[in-house]
Amino acid sequence: MATSNPSVFLLMINGQIEGADFPEYDELYCKYCFVYGHDWAPTSGLEEGISQISSRGRDTRHGLVWNFPVEITFKSTNPFGWPQIVVSVYGPDTFGNDVVRGYGAVHVPVTPGKHVKTIPMFVPESTSRLQKFTSWLMGRRPEFTDPKVIAQGEGREVTRVHSQGSVSFSFNIVTKDMKKLGYDVGHPRDV
Amino acid sequence: MAELHIIGQIVGASGFPHSSLFCKWGIHTGGAWRLLSGLREGQTQVDSPQTSDVAFWSHPIDLHYATKGLQGWPKLHLQVWHQDSFGRCELSGYGYCHVPSSPGHHRLRCATWRPLGSWQEQLAQSFVGGGPQLRFPDVIYSGADRYRLHTGAAGTVELELGIILRNFDKYGVES
Repeated sequence: MATSNPSVFLLMINGQIEGADFPEYDELYCKYCFVYGHDWAPTSGLEEGISQISSRGRDTRHGLVWNFPVEITFKSTNPFGWPQIVVSVYGPDTFGNDVVRGYGAVHVPVTPGKHVKTIPMFVPESTSRLQKFTSWLMGRRPEFTDPKVIAQGEGREVTRVHSQGSVSFSFNIVTKDMKKLGYDVGHPRDV
Repeated sequence: MAELHIIGQIVGASGFPHSSLFCKWGIHTGGAWRLLSGLREGQTQVDSPQTSDVAFWSHPIDLHYATKGLQGWPKLHLQVWHQDSFGRCELSGYGYCHVPSSPGHHRLRCATWRPLGSWQEQLAQSFVGGGPQLRFPDVIYSGADRYRLHTGAAGTVELELGIILRNFDKYGVES
């Protein structure tokens, strides 16, 4: 049987994108996708998704709620390239165009258990005031051509961004056979 | 060979007098450690926060080391710089912290400092910017020759690191 000498370990993520806190914007939706290394492959679940459009409740303390499920299982031979979830948030501007309101990325937690995370969101900055004005007028804000760039460490030194708002997640992490392969990830957490 | 994975991010910085900040980071190890995959140094994006006074970078760190010994455990060193609207860069702080040695999830707050010059230099710095910088950045993470420096406190950098160890217990190492 394969379980006696495993060569791969599994990482199962059951979580949700709970909601967002953007004090200046409303009616937002988000897209998520996973970025992972060459040794990783998803075995089940969805790698990408788009949420519903959500407005702030009448009681403004609630912020924005998506309650958007994220369920995926990965298999891998090597923890290098551990998956990251990349989230992009979009919403309408004053003219009704869909513009980007924030990008953010975070590594999926490495320890089994329940984790609640809030990640900050940022948007690329316009290079000049003229470009800022024309992009506001035309509804074409600066955005990343491929949001997966945010999950990389290289090439970031040339980007200038504004951070605004945050998105909150909760993850439940289960791993299989990491101990058998010799990996120690610490004690499972209870949050 | 024992292996160490460092998986996490440099979250951001707070407590600095300026707001348009970026961070140059690197990891220094002893001779027994070998980097198998990942980037051992990098530079984050420049963030100018709109609403809060914390600059967020969310810069991913993913490193895979193999080691034959415990000496020279990895140290993460940071330089926080401020970029003004003209594109000039000015040093805001130096800091370092050891990579945690126990497996699991860690939230680290790294305090930073910056070198102070004479009172004339400090006065000039308050008008035109600039200020003394270290010529040899390894002073950031080493204790030798520090006695020559006079430094002042700067802000804090926040990091979240997940540590995975492999085969350490086979060699009798407890962590």
